[in-house]
Amino acid sequence: MRKILFRAGTILVLLIIAAVMFFIGRGHTIYFDNKNLDYEGTRYEAVRRINVSVNGEQVARLSKKERGMATCMGQSFQFDIEVIREKNGESEFYSYSLSLPYGMDGIIVNLPGIMSGLPQDAWMSEFIPAPEPPDEENEELPGEEDFDPAGEI
Amino acid sequence: MSRRSLSGRNAVRFFSSNSVPIMFILIIAVCVPIVGFSPAFLLNEIVTRFSRNAFLILSLLIPIMAGMGLNFGMTLGAMAAEIALIFTSDWQIWGIPGVVLAMIISIPISTVLGLLCGKILNAARGREMITSYIISFFMNGVYQLVVLYMMGSIIPIVHNNIKLPRGYGIRSSVDLTRIRKCLDNVLAVNIGGVRIPLLTVAIIVLMCLVIVWFRRTKLGQDMRAVGQDMEVARAAGINVERTRLISIVISTVLAGIGMVIYLQNMGDMATYSSHSQIGMFCIAALLVGGASVDRASIGNVFLGVILFHTMFILAPAAGAKITGNEVIGEYFRVFVSYGVITIALIMYETKKRREKAGMGELLAAAQREEEKKHA
Amino acid sequence: MSGKTRTELTAGGNLRDTLREFGLPRLIIAAFLLLMFIIAPFTGVNFWAQITNVINRFSWNAVLVLAMVPMVHSGCGLNFGLPVGIIAGLLGATLSIEFGFTGFASFVMAILIATPFALAFGMAYGWLLNKIKGGEMMIATYVGFSVVSFFCMMWLVLPYKKPDMAWGFEGTGLRTTFPVDKYYGGVLSNFLKIEIGKLVIPTGALLFFAFLAFLMWAFLHTKTGTAMTAVGSNPTFARAAGIHVDRIRMLSVVMSTWLAAIGILVYEQGFGFVQLYNAPFNMALPAVSAILIGGATANKASITNVVIGTILFQGIVTMTPTVMNGLINLDISEVLRMVVSNGMILYALTRKSEVSR
Repeated sequence: MRKILFRAGTILVLLIIAAVMFFIGRGHTIYFDNKNLDYEGTRYEAVRRINVSVNGEQVARLSKKERGMATCMGQSFQFDIEVIREKNGESEFYSYSLSLPYGMDGIIVNLPGIMSGLPQDAWMSEFIPAPEPPDEENEELPGEEDFDPAGEI
Repeated sequence: MSRRSLSGRNAVRFFSSNSVPIMFILIIAVCVPIVGFSPAFLLNEIVTRFSRNAFLILSLLIPIMAGMGLNFGMTLGAMAAEIALIFTSDWQIWGIPGVVLAMIISIPISTVLGLLCGKILNAARGREMITSYIISFFMNGVYQLVVLYMMGSIIPIVHNNIKLPRGYGIRSSVDLTRIRKCLDNVLAVNIGGVRIPLLTVAIIVLMCLVIVWFRRTKLGQDMRAVGQDMEVARAAGINVERTRLISIVISTVLAGIGMVIYLQNMGDMATYSSHSQIGMFCIAALLVGGASVDRASIGNVFLGVILFHTMFILAPAAGAKITGNEVIGEYFRVFVSYGVITIALIMYETKKRREKAGMGELLAAAQREEEKKHA
Repeated sequence: MSGKTRTELTAGGNLRDTLREFGLPRLIIAAFLLLMFIIAPFTGVNFWAQITNVINRFSWNAVLVLAMVPMVHSGCGLNFGLPVGIIAGLLGATLSIEFGFTGFASFVMAILIATPFALAFGMAYGWLLNKIKGGEMMIATYVGFSVVSFFCMMWLVLPYKKPDMAWGFEGTGLRTTFPVDKYYGGVLSNFLKIEIGKLVIPTGALLFFAFLAFLMWAFLHTKTGTAMTAVGSNPTFARAAGIHVDRIRMLSVVMSTWLAAIGILVYEQGFGFVQLYNAPFNMALPAVSAILIGGATANKASITNVVIGTILFQGIVTMTPTVMNGLINLDISEVLRMVVSNGMILYALTRKSEVSR
């Protein structure tokens, strides 16, 4: 009886760890856009320069119409931006904290949109990678035993 | 008997029972000056390969303890790890969580494979090694069936970048950069230009401690009894089949975890060939460390992984220096791997025969004694 | 005798016995192949072209499978060390070409040159196997691998010069694959070739195999041959009967090695290419599983097993890809071949009654 409980406990603990890993290990790529955004008939203009940093480390310096990226594990993501609207002008600093949708690998965040305080669906969208050109050459498929003397181990 | 001749005989015995490691030390001693690598480079490579491979080799110890010889079926654990890593990279689980999740997913797969392997090996008693060797080929076919045909068609795979262009099946190489060296980079320290991945080393040491502890448990004792003499163990009330089965399952599971550690260091997975050679090289490394088919210790693992991989690093460069052809060195290290396994197998079989013959003589002597008494 | 009484008692039991003797896996494989042949015409595959294919592959491989027979008879088990003989054959092939022989002469010379190598290798290999009775199969496997990997180096180092097989400018050893159509390619297959529409029969190669198989059959009925069988079935009894067990075993290994050397030459003349380096690694297992599929066990094998086994094995290897492709446009033949051939070996290894000696 004790044995069964012990085993069930071990399995349960492993399952819980696995479940936790699913959430804290889920990787996302976040793309920051400094681009014009049209939302409900209004245009939110891109800004002269935005510097994006994550955990105090600068990940992107974006001029107008540029895109930067960062990676993130887990569903909560914090980043800071420094906005410079005019040449030699004052910097404005903002911090944002997002909760990322689990199902999206790549997430585009439109910075002018988020700065204007729009609802999330206005400035967040999924990044869909361009479909790869169909590879005509046949990929090499395995044989009985692929023996490669130069194989690294 | 004089003291000197005794010590002389001891020396002979020492050399004959450690001939393989000594031979390797000689090869390395010849190669090092020829190749002329800097000590820091060489040490770095050795440490990397040690942390990459030691856990996998440790997985071989338990079946040897249970008298089942070299477990060529450890390949099955490696396959389980690869399947697990295909899933975690498709689900985009990165970093240490990805590694931990892959380990956990590999456990049920390797348990099932290990049970299957153990069942077959129980039916093929006395021929465990050749059978486990063939099992690894057999399961390689099943693995290809699953990975090349069922993944993406029956088993859902979301991302196109790991699928073949035809829409199902996994590409021949899976990119693991998202978990690359994530264990090795934690707590890594730099000592005199040599980078030591402390976390990985700690995991390996922990595994050694677990093995030492395991030997003393009831199950471990049973395994040693089964390894020594199956019939005696059975008479003592040990469930021999079950014990042997468990030893193979443990080995397969450990091999799966070891393979995840190995692949996170590589950062790239050759879907259809990573596992096919890993068994051979791990077994060769263990034997180079002075282990034999029926006796292997943790010390053998450490010595073996260091000696074998030093040879592995040196051989191509030495081949290039000596003959002007690097490929010769690559073939040489493969030849040495196979050669070492062959020699170890031959030594084991001759020893077994000699023991059997010795036993026969003892029996005959006892019988004569008996007859004399009766007469 | 007890079998006879049982036959008289129940006809059903008899059928079951025959089935058991034939073995379930064998039955499944035979049924599968039959199914393939039945389906083949419906998938638009030319039936006669397929038959030709199977006969061709049979003629290439049968000698390699025949090489299994002597060692099984003498109780040395399945010859997983087939590559040892294959290397001897490859030495014969490359040297014959290097010396400039062409056509049929190059084939004969290849056999002649390969023979001393096969004898020497076979004797060393047999001596070793006599030292480690009981553990032959595993050690044979690794002896084979060691020899193949040693010769991987040799193919690079040996001073071959013939431009057809050596790497051109730098002269660093032999190519991995080279064609033999200028030399002995097809010398057997094209001899007395019969062509009826799509059906082509490589008579010469079949005759050559029949000749070797007949020699083997005749040998097994000589005094030495029966002694070999005796050594295999009961070594203690054989020793008591005054048979030199070790010498007989040695002879069987030498024969097996020589047949493997001939076998690879026959294979090459049909296939049209010589494959060096890593190719011999993968040649033992198909031959082992072919003879097992044919009904042999680890200590019992006949010429019939060789013929049936090679036809079934090569039948599956050639039929499945074409039929599968025609049917569902999916080629799982490679996987199927691995599962079937290794599964068959596993089945034989786990049969207690069949393998134990």
